[in-house]
Amino acid sequence: MRKADEQGFREFAAANAASLRRTAYLFCGDWHTAEDLMQSSLMKMYMAWKRIKELDNLIAYARKVLLRTWLDEKRRPWRRAEQRDGELPDTADATVDPDNTSAKLWARELVHTALLQVPPRQRAVLVLRYFEDLSVAEVAVAMGCTEGTVKSQTARGLATLRAIVEKLDSSSGRVAS
Amino acid sequence: MSEQEIREGMLLAVWDEPPLDFDPDTLIRRVEQKKSRRRALVGVGVATAVIAVASFALPGLLPRDRDSQLGSDGQTSASATPSESAEIRVQRIGDKLAEKLALTEPTLKEVYSDLKVGRSGPSGTQVVPGNPGDWAYWGYVYLTDPIGPTALRVEATRFGFSVQSFCASAVLCRDVPQKDGSVVTEAEFTDGSPEIARAETVRKYPSGLVVKVSSFAYNPATGSGVRQTVPVHVGVLTSLVTDPSVNWE
Repeated sequence: MRKADEQGFREFAAANAASLRRTAYLFCGDWHTAEDLMQSSLMKMYMAWKRIKELDNLIAYARKVLLRTWLDEKRRPWRRAEQRDGELPDTADATVDPDNTSAKLWARELVHTALLQVPPRQRAVLVLRYFEDLSVAEVAVAMGCTEGTVKSQTARGLATLRAIVEKLDSSSGRVAS
Repeated sequence: MSEQEIREGMLLAVWDEPPLDFDPDTLIRRVEQKKSRRRALVGVGVATAVIAVASFALPGLLPRDRDSQLGSDGQTSASATPSESAEIRVQRIGDKLAEKLALTEPTLKEVYSDLKVGRSGPSGTQVVPGNPGDWAYWGYVYLTDPIGPTALRVEATRFGFSVQSFCASAVLCRDVPQKDGSVVTEAEFTDGSPEIARAETVRKYPSGLVVKVSSFAYNPATGSGVRQTVPVHVGVLTSLVTDPSVNWE
C-alpha cells in the first residue's frame, strides 16, 4: 500500500476506533470481545482500503463491517456455546463517584442486561437506531435489508426489550418507569 | 420504558469504558504479517500439490520396466546386496540383460525386459518359497527388429538339466566351458522347418542354478508373430548368458 493511503487509513482508524468499540460493546456486552471485533473490522478495512478509501461515508461502511464481523462471530460454534446467565449483576458502589446515583447505575445495568437478551439482529437494529442515531434508511444499508425490515425489527426489538426490562424490574422489586 | 430512556441507558452502559490502547501501526503490522503468512501458506500448498501430482504422474509416464531402475542408476554392477528384495534383484538382471542385448545388436529397437520372481507355470507365475535354495525367476526380454516386435524367453531355476535330453533334437549342440566353473551349452533347433526355429543357450552353475535364454521363430510372450527364423542367434544368446555384468545367481 502507498504511504499516502496508509496514512489515510491510520487517521481514519485513530479517529473512529473508540466509537466502533463502543458500538461493538453494545452488540456483545464485553469490552474484550468488543476490542477484538473493532480490530478485526479495521483489519478487514485495511485489506480493502485501496477499494473503499473513496467512499463518501466510510464510518457507515465501518459499522457495516463491524456488524457483519459480530454476526459472523456469533455463528461460530465456540461462540454459540457461550451462555449468559441473564441475571442482573450487582450494581457498582455509588459512593465511589458521587456524580453517579444508584438510580443511574440501575438504569444503565438494566438496559445493558436487557439488551443482551434481545435476539442479535433486533439488538443490532436498536443499537444502530438509538445509540448511533442512524435513520431507518442508514440502518437498512448497514444491515443489508429493506427499510420495512428495519422498522419491523425495531418494533419487535423494542417490545422484547421492554418485556425483559419489566421482568427484571418486577423480579428485583422496582417499578419500571 | 421510553425510547429516550433506552437512548440514555445505552449511553450510560458505555459510560465507564476502559481506556483504549489502540495503535494503528500495530494493526497495520499485524495485517501485513497475516498477508505474508497467507502467501507462504498458499506457496506451501501449491508446492505440496505439485509434488503430489508429480509423484502420481511420473510412474505412469515412465515405462513399467524402468520403475526400479531409477533407484539403480549409477550402479555399475548388477551384483545384489543382501538387503535387496528379490523383485528388485530380478528387475536389475532384466535391465542389464536388455542393456547388453541393445548394445550387442544395435539394429534392435525398444529393448526392455519383464522378469518375475518364481517359476513359470501353466497358470502364470508360481510363487516359490523364500529360501535361497529355491531362487527362481523367468520372463521375457522384449525387442523390435526390422520384422516386428518379438521377445526372448529367460528362465532361471534349479531344475534338473541333462545335456542329452536338451540336445536330443538339436541341429547344433555344443558346450562352451567357462572360467568360473559353470558350463554353457548352446543349441539350435529347426523343429521341422527349413530354417532355425529355436535357439537356446543354457548355463549351469556349480550351485545348481540353470539359466536358459531362448529365441523362437515366433513371439513366445504372445504365441503369435510367426517368422521364418529366430530374431536373435545362438551366439548372441551365449554372449548374454556369459556377460560378467549380469549376476544371474
